[in-house]
Amino acid sequence: MRSAATSLVLLLASSHAIACEPPSLEPARRIDGAKHVVLFRSAPTPLPLNASFALDIAVCAKDGSAVATPKVDAWMPAHRHGMNYRPSLTETRKGLFRADGLLLHMPGRWEFVFEVAGERLTATHDID
Amino acid sequence: MRWLAALLVLLAAAAPRAELLDFSADEIARIVRHGPWPPTVAADPSNRVSGKQDAIGLGRALFFDARLSPDKAFACVSCHDPDKAWSDGRATSMGRTALPRNAPSLLDVRQRRWFGWDGGHDNLWSMSLRPILDAREIGGSTAGIADLVRTDRNLSACYARAFGREPGAVEAEALAIDAAKALAAFQETLTSPRTPFDDFRDALARGDKAEAAKLPVAAQRGVRLFVGRGNCAFCHLGPAFTNGEFHSIGIPFFVAGGADGGRHSGIRTLRESRLTLLGSWNDDPVRADGIATRHVDPQHRNFGEFRVPSLRMAARSAPYMHNGSLATLADVVRHYARFDPERLHGDGEAILKPLGLDDAEIDDLVAFLESLSAEPPPTDRRACG
Ligand code: HEC
Ligand code: HEC
Repeated sequence: MRSAATSLVLLLASSHAIACEPPSLEPARRIDGAKHVVLFRSAPTPLPLNASFALDIAVCAKDGSAVATPKVDAWMPAHRHGMNYRPSLTETRKGLFRADGLLLHMPGRWEFVFEVAGERLTATHDID
Repeated sequence: MRWLAALLVLLAAAAPRAELLDFSADEIARIVRHGPWPPTVAADPSNRVSGKQDAIGLGRALFFDARLSPDKAFACVSCHDPDKAWSDGRATSMGRTALPRNAPSLLDVRQRRWFGWDGGHDNLWSMSLRPILDAREIGGSTAGIADLVRTDRNLSACYARAFGREPGAVEAEALAIDAAKALAAFQETLTSPRTPFDDFRDALARGDKAEAAKLPVAAQRGVRLFVGRGNCAFCHLGPAFTNGEFHSIGIPFFVAGGADGGRHSGIRTLRESRLTLLGSWNDDPVRADGIATRHVDPQHRNFGEFRVPSLRMAARSAPYMHNGSLATLADVVRHYARFDPERLHGDGEAILKPLGLDDAEIDDLVAFLESLSAEPPPTDRRACG
């Protein structure tokens, strides 16, 4: 019986390392990384071409550790350049961040890059 | 009866054949994004007299007034001539000394995010004060501006009506900045007219093929190249045909005694200025419009990047580019057609590549660019009061 309890505890602990649930953000896009989960949503939605917008970002770490403020960027892989603006980040509540001042100045395929504690999580976004 | 039939055939041949190319749904969607025109624009929150008639009148009077310069030699209109789409027709402007850049048209200037070829200003009133104080341009001073507004009876009365206070009670710097805000209010009224392209675009948007077919076929072929194979709309996007941002298209930027750093020096100018949207002269207490200025991020590639110009009324504001180095629209299109990526410094725009346009296609693109111009409304030169 003791051993069953131990394995249950072990099982719970390891399942904890496989998934985590970030603060809820609806509707949002989800990126599942090896160590983190990121949800993000633009304000306004849909995000506008060639005008400033913000991203609300919810993050959690699969090992249960507290998450530091992520770095946020966007670039156009096919054009080999990024934005002309560097977003500023603020933590609005635990695990929830707002990135302000993004601006996608050309139509086409962009890639959002979230860097959380050294892990790079990316999502493409097409805009025209 | 035979002669009547012959006459009809002749007439049919003489009348221009209205024809509409078989634009795809995707092409129509891309074309429709370049309208509607004119767009609705709100008053500028950073300028408390934006949109106010009295301030517009004061700004108009100052715009044409050479007394802003110590020797009465220069006014804004010296380099921004209404008969040349508010530019000066020169490759590079000539003030008290030669300037390194081309005077841009002031049409639709309310819609800009950045001002000047390098975006060294983030608002229209600071951009309007600069030429008055610049020794190479009007060569005036804040004291000189204040003196003029305080002592000229007409300007003084106009100022009092526009700003709700007597100019004598306002110190010189504040008065000069108010004058610049009046100049801005005036320039905001300079908008480019609807053009043949706009009629075509609106007709396509509502599915009116007969009306759309009125745009000459050469211009239609040009539109197709512009939104398609030419890749032009990546940078010249939206109703104003510009994203308002900075790119290098391989125009040389060497000037007498060095290089024009373009956006690189623009960001430096911006950071050194007290008259940005982040400063205390912004009349908007929440400074919401300062978001771009707050987040602008210098890049290595900025050196030699210049602001993407609007293409509206371009046919009337030759010559072209930040240094006026291309004389005609045909020269511009040939520049893109024979584009040599080797000429771009650093990691250039990957979307710019030789387009392989033949002479007929170059003519078509020019025909389209010309369809973005029309006769402007007559210029209102009434003084205030
Ligand atoms: C000697 C010629 C000259 C005079 C006089 C002059 N300008 Fe200009 N103007 C220019 C040039 C050249 C530029 C481009 C400057 C740059 O990119 O650095 C310019 C740019 C501008 C712009 C920016 C437009 C845009 O699209 O970004 C505005 C606005 C402007 N001028 C307004 C004025 C006003 C208002 C006055 C009078 C107070 C004035 N100018 C007087 C030559 C002149
Ligand atoms: C990578 C962005 C980009 C693309 C793509 C592009 N342009 Fe431009 N365009 C610019 C920039 C930047 C300038 C000003 C460059 C300078 O002054 O050094 C310019 C200048 C111009 C001008 C001169 C306007 C004036 O008032 O001086 C015309 C006309 C023009 N482009 C037409 C086109 C056409 C037609 C195409 C497609 C064949 C095209 N552009 C593609 C960025 C672009």
